[in-house]
Amino acid sequence: MNSSLSAENRRKNILSAVLAVICVIYVLPVVAVVINSFKLNTYVKTNTFDLPRGEMWAGFSNFIKGMTFGNYPFMKSVLYSVVITIISTALILLFTSMAAWYIARVDSKICRAVYYLCVFSMVVPFQMVMFTLSKTADKLRLNTPWTIPIVYLGFGAGLAIFMFVGFVKSIPLEIEEAAQIDGCGPLRTYFSVVFPMLRPTMISVGILEIMWVWNDYLLPVLVLDINEYRTLPIHIQYLKGSYGTVDLGATMALILLSIIPVIIFYLSCQKYIIKGVAAGAVKG
Amino acid sequence: MSEVSLKHIKKIYPYTEPKKKGEAARPTNLKITDEGVVAVEDFNLDIADREFVVLVGPSGCGKSTTLRMVAGLEEISGGELYIDGRLVNDVAPKDRDIAMVFQSYALYPHMTVRENMAFPLKLKKVDQATINAKVNEAAEILGITEYLERKPKNLSGGQRQRVAIGRAIVREPKVLLMDEPLSNLDAKLRNQMRAEIIKLRQRINTTFIYVTHDQTEAMTLGDRIVIMKDGVVQQIGTPQEVFDHPANLFVSGFIGVPQMNYFNARLVKKGEGSYEVELDGKTVSVSPDKQARLAANGVESQDITLGVRPEHVALFGEESGMFHGTVEVSEMMGSSVHLHLSSLGQNVIVIVQTMDLQGQHKEGFKIGQEVAYTFGGNVIHMFSKEDERNLELPR
Repeated sequence: MNSSLSAENRRKNILSAVLAVICVIYVLPVVAVVINSFKLNTYVKTNTFDLPRGEMWAGFSNFIKGMTFGNYPFMKSVLYSVVITIISTALILLFTSMAAWYIARVDSKICRAVYYLCVFSMVVPFQMVMFTLSKTADKLRLNTPWTIPIVYLGFGAGLAIFMFVGFVKSIPLEIEEAAQIDGCGPLRTYFSVVFPMLRPTMISVGILEIMWVWNDYLLPVLVLDINEYRTLPIHIQYLKGSYGTVDLGATMALILLSIIPVIIFYLSCQKYIIKGVAAGAVKG
Repeated sequence: MSEVSLKHIKKIYPYTEPKKKGEAARPTNLKITDEGVVAVEDFNLDIADREFVVLVGPSGCGKSTTLRMVAGLEEISGGELYIDGRLVNDVAPKDRDIAMVFQSYALYPHMTVRENMAFPLKLKKVDQATINAKVNEAAEILGITEYLERKPKNLSGGQRQRVAIGRAIVREPKVLLMDEPLSNLDAKLRNQMRAEIIKLRQRINTTFIYVTHDQTEAMTLGDRIVIMKDGVVQQIGTPQEVFDHPANLFVSGFIGVPQMNYFNARLVKKGEGSYEVELDGKTVSVSPDKQARLAANGVESQDITLGVRPEHVALFGEESGMFHGTVEVSEMMGSSVHLHLSSLGQNVIVIVQTMDLQGQHKEGFKIGQEVAYTFGGNVIHMFSKEDERNLELPR
């Protein structure tokens, strides 16, 4: 009995140690970004994992350099990133939740086909469609920050619909029937009754989509006219000099700046992610 | 005025083949026609203004489907539905002036009790002062005033059901539909809520249609009961009528707890208008009124299923007319004892009032004890072996 208990403890300790090492490995790149953003450029390569002390300390000069580098205003790229992220996420949340509600509630072959198409789209790699997409986007004038959210809506629909359908199925149909009897039409039922109940899933889908759109590099670089419109990840990439020289300190500083909003958003909404992901898993 | 009239109402669902090859079709007692599975067949009922009608029957009998057709949540496959003389077959639920209470309460979880109750009025664009007055009044009737600012998740099952009823009555609907509203409550709360529904009914002027599978609820609440089986109405009548004169074997077994006792017997026509029943070599005389009804229906001698309710079986009588059995189970219920006897090759249930225990039974009953019982000719029910209908009732 005792020996089995101690064996169990030993197993747990080993597991804890292994997981701790994995955690460190995961966090290391983030830590490296943070410490190197305060380091002079020359020390980034040579003393990558040292703390920025003494002569290595650059203060906020990397941040200032990063934000004022080149002839493209930093705040403009921040604005484009914000606009694209907010519009894309809003479109995804609104349209996919409505579509998911319909798919979950109407049992027809077309609905099932649309659902499987959406789920299937999650496993198609972006690289497979990117060239045809960029041409199509150009033709359809989806190559501006105001219209690129439509492309994001298409790519984000798969995961969002998958998550929303799972949650909608866990909502008792009687609630919607009660709304119908109380005097709601379909739109009113959706906005007054279904939409508020979807909140936990909305938040988790929202966070996932915001992180994806905010950090996305490939889609905007392919679709947008990058001389005119640069999002943050594209702007950071332009810190690279013309002969391959890179100001790593400034790059790290901008990366740190760009991830701060997402981290704050994620931490403040973390509890809803778990709720949203677990929703519908068990009958409540 | 809010009369409801259902004329030849029919509900047919498309028949779905088993999904996998070789898989057996889902077992169903419902009739399957070329059109599909008949969930409700030729339902006819006229409900008077302010009447309380209860649809009762076992699971899958079509009672909820019928109610949902009245609500407008299910399409009507055939027949006509009138509310207040207006044909409403194709009218949307919101335009039927009905309200519905669901088994699962169906409250809006993101709204407070007050918002839940005010919601239908808000949709009707009633002014805020009237909404407040009506919500407060309904809350007072239902005793939920103190919970008005709470969310449904912070209420008990009974309180939630009151809110659901409150949301339904604030609208002052023409017809109030209730779909097994007490099924999710525990036994004690169910009894309490049942009494409250009876009180509520006296306070509000509306027509009730209530669905339940619980015959006690049906008997205690309904002005009239509609008993259904496999989508077909078996009998419509007052609680006393269906208890005293069940239309067929199914109704006799469904209404009344414990279930009616059945015996294989023979009805003998002795002469014009004169009948007696032979059971286990003994003769049970049939009361004159029953004989008259049998004669009016032109019933001839035949093998029958004889039904006797457990509460109508007596342990005392003339020895020549007594049947004998052995006690297998004795259930002490407080005011009465339910005896399960093995007699005439079957299980016979007898209810004995404890106050009536006397003589040799004064000390109660022991397992294996021999007991003699009898029943009068005025409490027997005679069912045809052929089609299970009550021979006393006209065809």
